Parts: sequence; structure tokens; C-alpha cells
Amino acid sequence: MALRELNFTFTPEDPRPFPLGWSHRGVVGSGDMEVMFEQADLGGQVQVKVCTPVVGFDEVWERVLDRCIKESQVSDVSIEINDNNATPVVVAMRMRQAIEEARKEAE
Amino acid sequence: MSDWKSLEAKSFYGASARERAIGIVDEGTFTELAGPQNRMSSPHLPVLGEAVEWDDGCVTGVGLIGKHPVFVISQEGRFIGGAVGEVHGAKMVGAFVLARQMYDRIKEEHPDELAERLPAVVISFETGGVRLHEANAGLLAHAEVMDQIQESKGKFPVISLIGSKVGCFGGMGFVAAATDVIVMSDLGRLGLTGPEVIEQEMGKDEFDSADRSLVYRTTGGKHKYIMRDANYLVEDTLGDFHDQLTAIMDAPYDEIVKCRRIGSEELVDEQLALAELSVEMAPKDARDVWAYFGNEDVDQIPEMTTAEFLAVAKRR
Repeated sequence: MALRELNFTFTPEDPRPFPLGWSHRGVVGSGDMEVMFEQADLGGQVQVKVCTPVVGFDEVWERVLDRCIKESQVSDVSIEINDNNATPVVVAMRMRQAIEEARKEAE
Repeated sequence: MSDWKSLEAKSFYGASARERAIGIVDEGTFTELAGPQNRMSSPHLPVLGEAVEWDDGCVTGVGLIGKHPVFVISQEGRFIGGAVGEVHGAKMVGAFVLARQMYDRIKEEHPDELAERLPAVVISFETGGVRLHEANAGLLAHAEVMDQIQESKGKFPVISLIGSKVGCFGGMGFVAAATDVIVMSDLGRLGLTGPEVIEQEMGKDEFDSADRSLVYRTTGGKHKYIMRDANYLVEDTLGDFHDQLTAIMDAPYDEIVKCRRIGSEELVDEQLALAELSVEMAPKDARDVWAYFGNEDVDQIPEMTTAEFLAVAKRR
């Protein structure tokens, strides 16, 4: 079974543009993922592309990512994820880490 | 990513490939080349449904040690065990090509400063060798890296660092052996056929890969140091590996290459004599070999700290 690509778009209510030109975090270990954030002029929206071997969890991905965006209100950023069977908890944690560290780095 | 100073105190064993690449060169000097933003992931893994990584498990770039431009290759064991595929291998080769171009440029622009500006290639191994999903490309990559090592001879040193979780096994064990210098920590493991593969092929009686102490006695840093397969044994921090690299790069090229294991008729004779010795003495365990080379209290060696071990170790 080939790798799958999932695409999502989110619209945060109180957009806070991603503070860095780009930022990369994580290693694609087993049960883990890497994520790339790149600033993009998306009119307050967020685009997410997930590359994953997992089948049947598209809705879970959407919910986890939606919660991450709601929580951080990050916007105007293109997010790409290379996933290797990361659980929802790991995905949420990696996203939170990456956004917090990027904000800290930009200060 | 933590800053350079806190990286220096970090365990080499647990560090990611990118942390190692940054931490083994001088502060703030590392620039990643063909990094995640370039998205050079494997073209073979997606069709097999295997996860990809944008750097294909190999961090490459350039930094400085003193005035020496150091081209870094750092393998990530968490991504498919650090196995070498087509892109991963091509990135390794690319680092060598850049180092050679740098050598030619320094020779032309700073002919009287060649010694103090001499470039180097440093490989932080964490791999089991060929990535089976892209076997032919992976094997070819091994051959190409070997070629690059030969091309570098007489110009600049190629240095191996081994102290990560996966160790350095399979074809990359050969590649490490062909480099000029090998630096290990006592947690590093170096070999050709990995412990699990020996057990699978020859049975548990021949080699029990679950016996951690046996695995370390046979492939670990202390054993390799006694056998002179490893030239230097250092403590398990990025800072200690960085300091050892600095010391190596301070030495003249002619001194550095004395660390080689292969590459001359004399060294071939030396290796053949060792093979003969192993038949004659038929050791049952690495401890027999340690005792043969004059080490006392061989049962205590695995328990010693690196400093205690270095103070008493008798080498081949």
C-alpha cells in the first residue's frame, strides 16, 4: 500500500501569524513524526499536508490538527507532516512543542 | 533545538543526527546543506507505503573546527535504523565532493596555510548498512562512498565517530574501517554482521544477541580500543567528541593517517597476522583476547568507567 497524502485547511478565529520564515522539528522514528512550518500568505488560514502510511484515521487527523490550531491560533502558515504511525497524543505534543519553540525563538 | 553550549554536555548516545552535526563542530559554525527544506526524501519508500523523511535519515553540512572546514555526515538511527538508501548515500558522496573542491580551492588560494586550513570529512555513524527497501541503490551508495574515501587519500582526513544507539554495522562497518581515524565511546558498537543477524544465521549457541554484555564485549568501544580498531575512546558527550576531533585536526596530516587500519602492504600483513592468531588461540570470548594482550582482571573491564579503563588498558 502506497503512502497517503491528506490535505486540510483550517481558519483560526483569532489569527496569530507564524513568527518565523520556516521551522523544522522532529525525527520520523517509529511512532513519531517530523513537521515543517513555512510562512505563507494564506489570508489568515492554515494549510496542512500529512504524508502517512496509516489508513482509516483521516477524521482523527482532522480533529487533532483542528484542536492544535484552535489552541494556538497559529495562522498564515503551510504545515507539512511526515508521519510514521504517530498516535494522536504524539501528534498533538509535537505540534504544540514546535509552535511554542518557534514563538520562543522569534522573541 | 537547544543551544550549542547545552548540546556539548549532552549524551552523544542519545543525540539526534542533527544535534550531533551541530555539536561536533565549533559553536555556531554549522550550516546544513540539502536539509529538510530541500525535501530530498527517498523516491522508493512511498510506493512501498513506508514513511519518508525529508533528509532521508542523513544530515549533511559544513562547519568549522578552528580554521578547518569540516564536512559533516550524520546518520539518524531512529529513521529506518539509519539504513543507507539512494538519497542518503548520494548526500554522503556530496559531502566528500564538496570537501575535495574545498581542498583544491584552499590549495590554490592559501597554499602556505594548507595545513592549518586543511578540510576534513567527519562521519557520525548510526546505521545497519544497506536499506533493504532500496537494496541495489543502497549497495551502490556504499561502493561510491568507498570510492570517495580512496579519492580523499593524500589530501585530507576522513574521520569516523561511533557512539550512537544503533552502532555501525553492515556495509557501513567496512566503510568506517576504511576511514583514517575512528573515535568511539564505550557505548559505541562497531562490526560487520550485526548481533541479530549472526544469531539468525548461526543460531543462539553461536551468538546470543539478547546477551547485552556479550554484544558489548564483542563489538563495543572498549574491545575495539584494545584491538586498535578504534583509535580513540572518549566519554559519551558531544563535547568530548568535539574535543577529540579538535585534537586530531591539530595534528599534521601525515600523523593523522598513521591511525589507518588498512591501505598499505604492512597493514595487510598486520591484519593477516591477526587472523592467524585468532586461529591459533581460538578464543572463546573477547576476555581471552584481552588477557592475551596483557590486561589483568578482564572480568572487571566492562564495569570500568572510560577514565578507569583508559588508565589501565593494554592494547594490541
